[in-house]
Amino acid sequence: MSLALATLLYEWRRYLAAIIALAFSGLLVLAQVGMFTGIGKAFTATIDRSPADIMVLGPKAESLMNGGNGLPRRVMAQMYMHPEVVEVADLDGGGGMWSNDPPPGKKRVREWIQTSAVDTRSDAVTWPRDYNENIRVALLEPYSVAIDRTGMAKLGIQKLGDRASINGKTVYIRYILDGYPNMMQPTVVVSRDTLRLLGQASTGSRVGPLMVRIKDPARAEAVRDQLNATSDKAYRAWTRAELSEANDGAMMKESFIGIMLGFSVFLGLLIGVGITSQTLRGAILANIKEFASLRALGVSMGSLRMIVIELGFWTGVAGLAATAVLVGVVAQLAKMGGLPMSFPIPMVIASAGFLMLIAIASGLLALGILKKSQPADLLR
Amino acid sequence: MSQSPHLLTPGQSSMGKTAIVAKGLQKRFKTGRTYIEVLKSVDFDALHGDVTMVMGPSGSGKSTLVACLSGLLRPDEGRVKAMDQDLWSLPSGRIDKFRLDNCGFIFQGFNLFPALTALQQVTTVLKYQGYDVAEARRMAMVALDEVGLGHRVNQRPSELSGGEKQRVAIARALAKQPRLLFADEPTSALDGENGQIVTRLLQRAAKEHGAAVICVTHDHRMESFADRVIHIEDGRILDDRRVTSQPAPAAADRPLIGA
Ligand SMILES: Nc1ncnc2c1ncn2[C@@H]1O[C@H](COP(=O)(O)OP(=O)(O)OP(=O)(O)O)[C@@H](O)[C@H]1O
Ligand SMILES: [Mg+2]
Repeated sequence: MSLALATLLYEWRRYLAAIIALAFSGLLVLAQVGMFTGIGKAFTATIDRSPADIMVLGPKAESLMNGGNGLPRRVMAQMYMHPEVVEVADLDGGGGMWSNDPPPGKKRVREWIQTSAVDTRSDAVTWPRDYNENIRVALLEPYSVAIDRTGMAKLGIQKLGDRASINGKTVYIRYILDGYPNMMQPTVVVSRDTLRLLGQASTGSRVGPLMVRIKDPARAEAVRDQLNATSDKAYRAWTRAELSEANDGAMMKESFIGIMLGFSVFLGLLIGVGITSQTLRGAILANIKEFASLRALGVSMGSLRMIVIELGFWTGVAGLAATAVLVGVVAQLAKMGGLPMSFPIPMVIASAGFLMLIAIASGLLALGILKKSQPADLLR
Repeated sequence: MSQSPHLLTPGQSSMGKTAIVAKGLQKRFKTGRTYIEVLKSVDFDALHGDVTMVMGPSGSGKSTLVACLSGLLRPDEGRVKAMDQDLWSLPSGRIDKFRLDNCGFIFQGFNLFPALTALQQVTTVLKYQGYDVAEARRMAMVALDEVGLGHRVNQRPSELSGGEKQRVAIARALAKQPRLLFADEPTSALDGENGQIVTRLLQRAAKEHGAAVICVTHDHRMESFADRVIHIEDGRILDDRRVTSQPAPAAADRPLIGA
């Protein structure tokens, strides 16, 4: 075992401050990544779990979140021109002011919501794969709605069967969903008929994103390419996997999130390097006479520097382990709070690299302290 | 304590040869606006196989002399010729290398890493000398055996007594088979019995391994183990007295007559 690793293990208390600082730097960054990706995933849960093989967005869309302002309605018909296309449906929805029917003595809840329509056939291309028959039966009833468990409190709903209104039209809660968490604006799922009854179905010349099912799902990429070849810049077709990936990244590209994340990275770097380098300096200073005795015996300054950098490295490894624990706990808590986090592998790798960078940089900053290892001072 | 033949052979051939010669060493330190002269033109030499004691009152410059002789502190004037090299004319990297190859140190404090076992304290330096793990371990075991700690090699400093710690430090210095062994008051933190063990170990380094042992001490009990006692006062050598007869050069070192 190397001197650096042995020292870190034996005197771990001395390094605890650095390890905790690193763990919090890691948490600061990763928790945000996890939260924003989680939010992004929640926004697109319906799409990720849709049976559609291909989705069609506006020509300039970069993801579902910056999807532009829809497509000309004629594109729907155009899709059917392709011989392999079996079914085409548009994602329809609207929004409005929700208010509940408060129990006696409680204040009325008023909340802006989004509505999202599904076709109530279990083989419909808009019908999420994890929706069951009970949901279908529940939504068949006019004016019935489904909300996610995480939206209940915000929407002032206690139980199934509660009454509420959207833009003044009375609706009934007929199903409580799981796994479709609401982040900012709660989403209310309705049948396409109910959407029409609420007066929110699109009737104009433009429609929302299209969901397309084809004969052989394995041919999705080929069909996408063929569809795009004849798009004439009116639309862009995506495979579901391709769009899902774009959605993951889209949140991070939102400018305010980018700024927040950048600021956190900067703050984490500052705090991490500050505390870690000071801790390393203190720990090395505590053993400075031992280092000096190595110098006396002829070990070069370069070799001592390597020991310090290696100490930084192992502190980083310990910090990574502590980060994993902390992030795990926070993610668990968030999940219990109905806000599942999600950690895309590239972001996790980048964060781990970021922590190691902090640790090694701290080691480099702590090098100066070795000047105090004057072997002549041992002779007094 | 077992004999270790592999350490014996290289040493004896050089018995009685000059290990280190210093001429006209001067060193002064700046204190405030004035300089204090700590070494005032000191001439010094030491032989392989000798225990050379340097004695004198506090502040007389003993430690400074040892630092200049061993390549730890550059003198203002004078030259040190050690192991046939003009020490202070070498670039600092080569001085490090010189110490790595030739010098052992024993300080008043033990300066052992708290995290390392006795064995690891010794192997750490050997690895920097370029020995592989197995070889370093073997050499360290021999050295720890020699200082009588063969049964405590896995103990950390916190589990060792002061005398045992000093013996680990000695094993660390001896394991690299130094031709020059410097000790600065190695016994002053130890009781009489442990002091005597340490003194005997220094003597063995000289007699069995042929090292030139240069030892600073206040301890008059150590004097009886010395081959030579040098008295220094106020930066000057007052007295240089040989106590034993000059070590006889070993047979291999004599000219071969009629062979
Ligand atoms: N780095 C330094 N800066 C200034 N003065 C120093 C320095 N090192 C030593 N001195 C001074 O040089 C003088 C001799 O010091 P040195 O350590 O060589 O004495 P010594 O003979 O070893 O004494 P002791 O027996 O007390 O250890 C002392 O007066 C000390 O104050
Ligand atoms: Mg001294």
